[in-house]
Amino acid sequence: MDKAQLDAAFSELYRTHLRDVYSYAYYRVGNHHDAEDLTEQTFLQAYRHFERATAESDGRPLRPWLIRIAHNLAANLYRDRARRPQSSLEETEPTRPARTIHTTEDLVEGRDELARILEGVTRLPDERREALIMRFALGMDNREIARALGKTDGATKVLIHRAIKQLEEMVAA
Amino acid sequence: MSDVAPMDFEARVRAALAPVDPPPTLADRLEARLASLTETAIEELDALEISAMRDPRNWVRPVIAAAVAATAGAGLLVLRLRSRGTRRPRLRLPGR
Repeated sequence: MDKAQLDAAFSELYRTHLRDVYSYAYYRVGNHHDAEDLTEQTFLQAYRHFERATAESDGRPLRPWLIRIAHNLAANLYRDRARRPQSSLEETEPTRPARTIHTTEDLVEGRDELARILEGVTRLPDERREALIMRFALGMDNREIARALGKTDGATKVLIHRAIKQLEEMVAA
Repeated sequence: MSDVAPMDFEARVRAALAPVDPPPTLADRLEARLASLTETAIEELDALEISAMRDPRNWVRPVIAAAVAATAGAGLLVLRLRSRGTRRPRLRLPGR
């Protein structure tokens, strides 16, 4: 692949996955300011290593690689600041209500539940939280999540199952 | 235990963790950062004295700088051309 093809491929990756990386970053760090920084750093780092990643990907999608960069950068961010994610997620409204909600009361109740779910997500252990963000915010399948987390497909399936179960118990409590 | 069916609960988690659109300013800033990579490489080229180029040992850095400039410049150009041709989605961010 020559330079022009690489550049075209990178810009395609950028356009296709900017929202994925930003969504991951937002739910991972819990606020827009850090999410923007994390997204920016992720793409700059991806740009520097894109040629090698493309060569080593053997034709597989690069989204897990991209999310893994964001994952590592986020881990470094918290290591540097020695703190947990901010809790501003629990102060935000869900970006869209569930489609089955119709009445005003149901809408309020539904929003309360979505807020409880978001709050529960922030209290999950890091790895379980990340797996749920990748599954539900980014729509990644088990194989993609496994590659992003550096786990086997089987371990990832168990991880997601346990994360959902723990979250459900938190919300129901 | 919750009285919500598993599939229903997963649908609610999906609704709670809805994708978040990035602010348009983020894309602009990203492209500017790529441009700065290009400028750094170009300045590296400008800073070299012609006389120093007579020594082959000094050829490595300008070649690398030229390669970085060409790569970053072409990448930026593609990004900007495509961003002009496509309308970015509007913000629907919570809390903004």
